[in-house]
Amino acid sequence: MTSTKPTIGIIPGDPSGIGPELIAKLLNAEGVHEAADIVLIGDGHVWEQGAAQAGLPLDLVSVAQDRIGGSHGVVWVPMDTIAPDAVEIARVTEAGGRCSLRCLDKALDLARDGVIDGILFGPFNKAALTAAGMNAEDEHRYIAQYLGFGGHHGELNVLDEMMTTRVTSHIGLREVAGNITAEGVSKAIGLAEDTLKQAGKARPRIAVAALNPHAGDNGKFGREEIDILEPVIRAAQDRQKDVTGPWPSDTVFLKAIRGEVDAVVTMYHDQGQIAIKLLGFERGVTVAGGLPIPITTPAHGTAFDIAGQNRANLGATRAAFDLLVRMATTHRANRAAA
Amino acid sequence: MNDAPVVLTCGDPAGIGPELAAKAWAELGAGLPFFLLGDPAHLPPGTPHVVIEDPAQTAAALTRGLPVLAHPFPAPARPGHPDPANAGDTVAVIARAVALVQSGRARAVCTAPISKQVLIDGAGFAYPGHTEYLAALAGVERVVMMIAAPDLRVVPATIHIPLSQVPSALTPDLLRDTIRITEDGLRRQFGIAAPRIAVAGLNPHAGEGGKLGHEEGTWIAPLIREMQAEGHAVTGPHPADTMFHAAARARYDAAVAMYHDQALIPVKTLDFDRGVNVTLGLPFVRTSPDHGTAFDIAGEGIANPTSLIEALRLAHRMTQTA
Repeated sequence: MTSTKPTIGIIPGDPSGIGPELIAKLLNAEGVHEAADIVLIGDGHVWEQGAAQAGLPLDLVSVAQDRIGGSHGVVWVPMDTIAPDAVEIARVTEAGGRCSLRCLDKALDLARDGVIDGILFGPFNKAALTAAGMNAEDEHRYIAQYLGFGGHHGELNVLDEMMTTRVTSHIGLREVAGNITAEGVSKAIGLAEDTLKQAGKARPRIAVAALNPHAGDNGKFGREEIDILEPVIRAAQDRQKDVTGPWPSDTVFLKAIRGEVDAVVTMYHDQGQIAIKLLGFERGVTVAGGLPIPITTPAHGTAFDIAGQNRANLGATRAAFDLLVRMATTHRANRAAA
Repeated sequence: MNDAPVVLTCGDPAGIGPELAAKAWAELGAGLPFFLLGDPAHLPPGTPHVVIEDPAQTAAALTRGLPVLAHPFPAPARPGHPDPANAGDTVAVIARAVALVQSGRARAVCTAPISKQVLIDGAGFAYPGHTEYLAALAGVERVVMMIAAPDLRVVPATIHIPLSQVPSALTPDLLRDTIRITEDGLRRQFGIAAPRIAVAGLNPHAGEGGKLGHEEGTWIAPLIREMQAEGHAVTGPHPADTMFHAAARARYDAAVAMYHDQALIPVKTLDFDRGVNVTLGLPFVRTSPDHGTAFDIAGEGIANPTSLIEALRLAHRMTQTA
C-alpha cells in the first residue's frame, strides 16, 4: 500500500531573489517533514546558496527518480541550469530566468509522470522569465501550455481561510464590464469550488461579489447584477451549490474574514487584491488553479530589495506549503482511486 | 475654541436615526455636547430626554437626558414604515440644522440617514442625496465625500455610478477638484498643516506602463506631476492593491480613489463599524454615519450606534481645530 503522505516537489524560483533562502527556511521549519515527502528540484549550488543566506543546515541527498516518495524524507533531483558564477543576487538576468524555467519544466515532467503530487515554487521574476524566452503571458499560462492543458484554469489568491478568484484579471478597467459574462462568472465559481474541494472543503461556500457600487442598488447604478450575476447564482443554487450574491463588494470580504464563506468570486483584479493585500501582505498565497496538478507559490515577488540578507519572511511560503499539502493529499488519493 | 454643540438631525423618523440618537447619548453622556433636532415624540418610548429651547442649553441638559431641540412633525413615527407626510419636515430639519451651524449656534452638523425615495414621494425632493442638498443650501458647486476611519481616510472621485461609466466620468477637472478639496479639508478641518495625498491608479497595477490601460499615462500621471510642481504633496498614481496596507498608509493623510468600491473596500475591510462619512468642500463641518435608514430593523433596538457615535466624535474633533 502506498503512503497517503503526499510527495511535494519544490523548485527555488529565481535564484537572484529570496526563493532559495525561503526554501531553506521552510525545510528547517516545524512540521514540514511530517506533512510531506519533499523533492528538491534544482542546482545544488542554488540550494546551498539559500541555506548559506538563511544560515541554516541543508543536507542534499540525491536519489534515483524511481526511489522518490514513499517516506524517504527530503531527496534531491540534481539539475544543471546555471553556473555558480552566473547567479547575480538582486539582478534580473536571463540566466536566472532560464534556471527558473528549466527547474519548472523538470517539476512538471515529474508531476506528469506521477512522481510528485504537487509543486511549490519560489518567486519568479517575470522580466527574467521573458528574457529567457517564456513566450506565455505569465507562468500560469506557460504551465498550461507545457502540459498541453486546454481546460479552464486561472490564478486564485488565498489569505488564511479566504480564497478569491476573478472573472477578469489583467485588463484595463474600461474593458471590465464588457467582459463580465455568464460563462466567465460560472467558470470563476467552478474554479473556486474545485480548488476548495481539492483543499479539503467538502461543500465550499462561495460568495459572488457585485460589479457595481451597492450591488447596483436595484439597477440604479448598473444592470450587470440583474442581467448576468443573479441568473448565474440562481442556476448554481438550483444545482444545490452553496453560492450566494451578488454582494456589495465593500463588505463581501468581511464575510470571508468572519468565516461565513470560503471563497469570494470577484469581478476584476483590484476588487479582490485590495482586500487580500490589505489584510495580509506577508501571508498571501497564489494557487495556479484548474491545472491537472496542484501548484502553489507565495504571492509576493523576488524581493530584490532584501535578497541575500536573511530578512525574508517565511509566512507566505509556509502558507503556500500547507495549502499545497492539503491539495496534493486529495490529488494523490484521487490518483490512487483512479 | 468653539463651545457650541453639534447638531444631529433626526433623519427619516421611521429609520434607525431616533433610536441611535438615544443610544449615542447613553454612551456619550455629558462627554460630548450634541443635541437632536427632531420630534421628541419620535424617540423610542422611555428615552431619557430634555426638550431645549436653544442650543446653548445643551450642556446643562446633557446630564439628565438627550437634549432635543423640538421640531414638530405632522405624523408619528412608525419604525420601518416611512410616512410621506413626514417627508417635508425631514427635509426642513436638514435646512434648519444648516441655519444653526451657519449662525454659529451649532459647531457642526451630523446627519442621520434619510431615504431618498421617501423624500421624492412625499416632498418632491429634487436632490440625489443629502450631500447635494447640503451643497445647494451652502451655495457650493462641488463637494467631495470622504470616508474617515481611525486607520484610513479615503475619497472616491466618482461615487454612485455603474463601474462601466467610471472611465468616462473621470476627468482631469474632476480629479483636480477632488484632490484640491480633499487637501483643503485636511488642512482646515482636520488640522493637518501639510496634507499628503496618495492617488490610486484606475487600472490594475496602475496600468503597468500602458499595458493594462492608458489613463494613467495619458492624463493621471501628468496631472499629478503638474500639481506637484504647483507645490501640492500629492503622489501617484499608485497601484490600488498595494497602497492600503499599514506601511503604505503611513505615507499619506488621505487616499483619493477613482471609484466607489476602490475606496470603500479598504476602509470597510479595515474598520467596518467605525467608518464615518465626511463632506468636504462645505463652509461647515458635516459628518454622517456610514449606513442607511435600515427600515428592516428599525424599532427593534438592535441597530449598532458605533458609526453614529464616531460621526459625532469626529464632528466634534474637526471643529476643535477650526
